[in-house]
Amino acid sequence: MHKDDQMTPVERLNGFLTGGDMDRILAMPLICSMSGKAAGMTHKQKRATGASEAQCQIANYERFGNDLLIAEYGLHTIGKELGSVMGDPEDAVPAIMKHVLDDLDDIDKLDFSRALPENSPDYQKHLECVKILVDKMGQEVPTGVLITGPFTAVSSIYPVEKLLRATRRNPEAIHKLLRACTDVLKELHKGYIEAGAMILFCEPIATGSIINPKEYLEFVKPYTIELMDNIHANNGMVCYHICGDTKHIIPEMVKTGPDMISIDNRVPLALAKEYIQPYMPLVGNVDPVETMILGTPEDVDKAVKECVKVGYDCEHGYILCTGCDLNGAVPLENLDALMAAVRTYGKCPVTPANWGE
Amino acid sequence: MADKEELIGKLSTCVVEMEDEEVVDVANEYIGDGYPAYDGIMEGLVDGMNKASDLYDAEEYFVTDVLLCSDAMYNGLDVLRPHLDNADAGGNQKKVVIGVVEGDTHDIGKNLVKIMLETAGFDVRDLGRDVPLDDFVTTAKEIDADIIALSTLMTTTMAGMGTVVQKLKEAGIRESTKVIVGGSPISQKFANEIGADGYSANAVGAVKLAQELVGIEPDAER
Repeated sequence: MHKDDQMTPVERLNGFLTGGDMDRILAMPLICSMSGKAAGMTHKQKRATGASEAQCQIANYERFGNDLLIAEYGLHTIGKELGSVMGDPEDAVPAIMKHVLDDLDDIDKLDFSRALPENSPDYQKHLECVKILVDKMGQEVPTGVLITGPFTAVSSIYPVEKLLRATRRNPEAIHKLLRACTDVLKELHKGYIEAGAMILFCEPIATGSIINPKEYLEFVKPYTIELMDNIHANNGMVCYHICGDTKHIIPEMVKTGPDMISIDNRVPLALAKEYIQPYMPLVGNVDPVETMILGTPEDVDKAVKECVKVGYDCEHGYILCTGCDLNGAVPLENLDALMAAVRTYGKCPVTPANWGE
Repeated sequence: MADKEELIGKLSTCVVEMEDEEVVDVANEYIGDGYPAYDGIMEGLVDGMNKASDLYDAEEYFVTDVLLCSDAMYNGLDVLRPHLDNADAGGNQKKVVIGVVEGDTHDIGKNLVKIMLETAGFDVRDLGRDVPLDDFVTTAKEIDADIIALSTLMTTTMAGMGTVVQKLKEAGIRESTKVIVGGSPISQKFANEIGADGYSANAVGAVKLAQELVGIEPDAER
């Protein structure tokens, strides 16, 4: 347990889910792609094996006492397993250099079985990470897997601009790809849930910054509902995150049935609270760039305070989080400051007295 | 023979309504009737693209719509451009070098900016994505660019933008080359920190910014 806390994350989460005691609000900053930093590893070293990935998560937890460990299955892996060519940067998330699918007439040449658990080396690697984390730390802190949503999975196979055009010119083909990706994701989710992880369902390509609400309804929502249902049928828990501006689709995101929704800093937390709090916990939304990278510890403290002031009385609870995945340029002192601020302003029972009102 | 204004109107409508095949027929009819290519481009195709940009700014059109409109515009341009008089074909256009900085492959935003800059009459050299930082400077020097436009979606690559500004100083062309930056993690604060000349939160703003920086009157109300 972190020296500045009175409960373990598991005890705290249990209190959160059952309405029992908590020492402070939950804090789950997205320490995912930059998790190597606290362990002295580059992203390449971190992603080498399940063991190295687990080691990074544990090192972060030991320093910060955050409430969730994260394995990074990531956004591109389905495309990678099908044959998209990836970069291999030393200290960044590998990008897709060449998508495996160039022409929608070639969809039937794709072999989706390559992304299934039994055939996917990357799935296995992150499963190994989950197993180590659950085994070593499961009594104390929960584990999640950050994994692509179906629309984003399609964009790892077929380039985004072509995908967007095809939603108008050839929607049947896009539905075919979505169908195949959804079926694969069901198996991936099942495997990770059985290993003890919750699902961090990340769907950046469905952001309102790219697609309109009608496109979300047609191409994203139905497959998402299937996946959420599948997660629950397997007794799993899921946090739904779409990066960027999701103002116009939050009510639809709610309807897909996740256990909680995580909001990026582009959406005012108070607005998200209105849409989300009647149904489920709210998660978010300290600015991962302006505050966490470019800000001082004082800026971080202020941002956490503002978030807690809005979120603390959410009907279904509130979890402090960063608006999106953090990057390696984040000074670790800012994460120290974030957790310290959560322990101050989020100390239970949370009242305005916590911030001097 | 159809009325010139009528055909120009149709060209514009084809762009706004993403008719990337019909626009070719209309453009061929327009040129076949002997009307000047320049007017067809500026008052027809570009007019349509500007309307599409306005709709994007108003959040009625989204990225998909703008891409499809631009497809129609470029198809029309393919027909009309070869018929431009030498005088109209440009030569005193302001030049922009644009690209996504080294290490980043996200290029939708950059492509939207490129489309809108070309629509506004800039001569755009698109270096693509994952562009080595030196290439921005060498290309700017080679074509005597007025502006370098840098894009990134990722925080890991943001610092590269500051490096480009630095490299321009070292190459002795910082004064003559404006630098504008954009992308989700970018902000005015960041732009100021690295000494860029401007930041825009979206593609429509990027065009106005570019126009201001090179001393063109930003387009009046359309």
